[in-house]
Amino acid sequence: MSEPYRTAVDALEPWPDTVQWRPVSSKLIVVELIGLAIWIAVLVAGLVAGWLIGGQSFWPWVIAGVLVLGAWRAVIEVRAVRAWGYAERDNDLLVRHGLLIRHLSIVPYARMQYVDVTAGPLERAFGLATVQLHTAAAASDARVPGLPPDEASRLRDRLTALGEDRAEGL
Amino acid sequence: MTSPGLPPSLPPPGTPPYPAPPPYAGPPPGTPPYAGPPPGTPPYAGPPPGTPPYAEPPPGWAPAGHPAGPPPGHPAGDPAAGLNTRQRLHPLSPLLKGAKSLVVIVAALSWQTLSQLGPTHFAMVVGALAIAVVIFSAIGWFNTGYQVIGRELRIAEGLVWRRNRAIPLDRLQAVELRRPLLAQLTGLAELRLEVVGGGKTEAPLAYLTVRDAAELRERLLALSGRTPAAVASPETGPAAGVAAAPAAPVPLYRVRNRDLLISQLLTPQAFFLPVGVAWVITQFAMESSWSFIGIASTVTAMAGVLLQPIRRVLSDWNFQLGRDRDRRLVLHYGLVETRNQVVPPHRVQTVRVTWPLLWRRSRWLTLRLDIAGYSGPEPGEDNSSDRLMPVGDLPTARGLVAAVLPGVDLTTLATSPPPLRARWLHPFGLRFYGAGLTPDVFVTRQGRITREMSLVPYARMQSVRVVQGPLQRRLGLATVYADTAGGRSGVAHDRDLAEAYAIAEQLEVRARQART
Repeated sequence: MSEPYRTAVDALEPWPDTVQWRPVSSKLIVVELIGLAIWIAVLVAGLVAGWLIGGQSFWPWVIAGVLVLGAWRAVIEVRAVRAWGYAERDNDLLVRHGLLIRHLSIVPYARMQYVDVTAGPLERAFGLATVQLHTAAAASDARVPGLPPDEASRLRDRLTALGEDRAEGL
Repeated sequence: MTSPGLPPSLPPPGTPPYPAPPPYAGPPPGTPPYAGPPPGTPPYAGPPPGTPPYAEPPPGWAPAGHPAGPPPGHPAGDPAAGLNTRQRLHPLSPLLKGAKSLVVIVAALSWQTLSQLGPTHFAMVVGALAIAVVIFSAIGWFNTGYQVIGRELRIAEGLVWRRNRAIPLDRLQAVELRRPLLAQLTGLAELRLEVVGGGKTEAPLAYLTVRDAAELRERLLALSGRTPAAVASPETGPAAGVAAAPAAPVPLYRVRNRDLLISQLLTPQAFFLPVGVAWVITQFAMESSWSFIGIASTVTAMAGVLLQPIRRVLSDWNFQLGRDRDRRLVLHYGLVETRNQVVPPHRVQTVRVTWPLLWRRSRWLTLRLDIAGYSGPEPGEDNSSDRLMPVGDLPTARGLVAAVLPGVDLTTLATSPPPLRARWLHPFGLRFYGAGLTPDVFVTRQGRITREMSLVPYARMQSVRVVQGPLQRRLGLATVYADTAGGRSGVAHDRDLAEAYAIAEQLEVRARQART
């Protein structure tokens, strides 16, 4: 059993020859960063309030720690959005995401129960939407965020059409 | 490469991980017969003796034509035809439901309240609450009705918040007929339908007479069949006169109650019992205060610990599994509360095989099946109607698996373990992990202490996932999940990354082939 530790396959690039991965919109990076910035701002505001009231000397260190953590998260977010991708094959939808924990989902169109298209306030401001495919299994995880609206509705229509075409239910 | 935890009849080492599908040639010679009733098996279903005869058709009962049309030779006035009009539940239902709530109320009031109020006041409080509950249930009963329209079951309920729900019968996963103790005494039964998408059981119809419930079940199951032919078939059987009491299914398995008792004594909870008793005795010896409340509370607490094994014994008592004409599984079990469950063959999402540590000496194992619609894994949840075989030996299990998943032989399911470097993640018992693609099912094994194997038929798979955590990335490993609607996934832990993608691809292809 002297296999090499590193196999030739990249976790984010299965079947590189046959699958055309489509990236999500890079505007999603901005959306994610704004979301992150809001969280960090709230947290820092709370800590500053604590500093002003308490006045101990450790508060600046905590604030600095939070800021460093935020910067690190920001780098991760940027890379995570770049790692997110989806591909429509003949019979199934592939979705990959995650950097620390890498996920690849394969969801056959035939198993589709319904499609969700959602857009939060931030996403709407940047003209983005999220498409999520649901199957009868709760564990299925096929969510594609950061799609431009026309791409989102195209994907939704295609998924529903293919789903109706091949529907098998359970 | 095979596991010593599995029976010795597994393929020899060196078996290729994904063997070519061998044609299933039936059980090998020498297999004990599973079909055919063992001598002395009592006739299977049908209302037990002592069931009050079906009294009278309820008001509003009219023999209207039902969608399939009464088959020729069927007695006029087919009782099922009446289901087209709106039906009420049995008039005793509010009383029974009230009694059920009463137990909950008493439990909620607890021993503490009893000691504070004294027995007389306590009885008065309970009595007042009971009357209120019964009145409330009666109002609910008055406003509840059900009817079958086309291929839908419609249930209307509620006084203040009216709710009308239509259940499309082609989505029906399983039907269960439950008879709690009180219902057994009064000859009633509760009919529960399992539909996908509901976190809990949809539309429990409580209560109907046993005969009504059985009829309704037969009818619902017939309507849930995919072809119109299936609608007519169950009624043209020889048992047409007996209406819907399903013709005795072919028994496949019957648990030995002695084994059931022993197997439940061999659980961690049962082992806890001596420790608990010793603790209680020392408590009393130290404090030497034998108050009634103290004893009662302790007993209640002990019962809480022991509840699961006891509940298992009670619920799995006389467990019987059969298969009826339409190849549906018919399960019947329970001592205090009997349950009679019918599962259409293609509704089985997963079969799980478990070898608990303490059962290993007896070479026992247990089989469970996942059905979509039953809520997910909740420990201690007594609603988990997922037993296929509470306890049994390997040959029995093999026969049952072959019956539920045709063409699958439990003893020849080959799995290959993860690569050796996965020992960093599983220092002990790496060899008990494994995955294998067999002709009909995806097999995965895991667990050092409690060994588990799950069989996911390709045709039931909903989606495939490959997940790689940070440690796995360092080792070049990944985990493959085969998701089913039953709530549990077949999990191939820590495969080599390239192999994981190969497995995922294979699962996808095989699932597609199995669907068509």
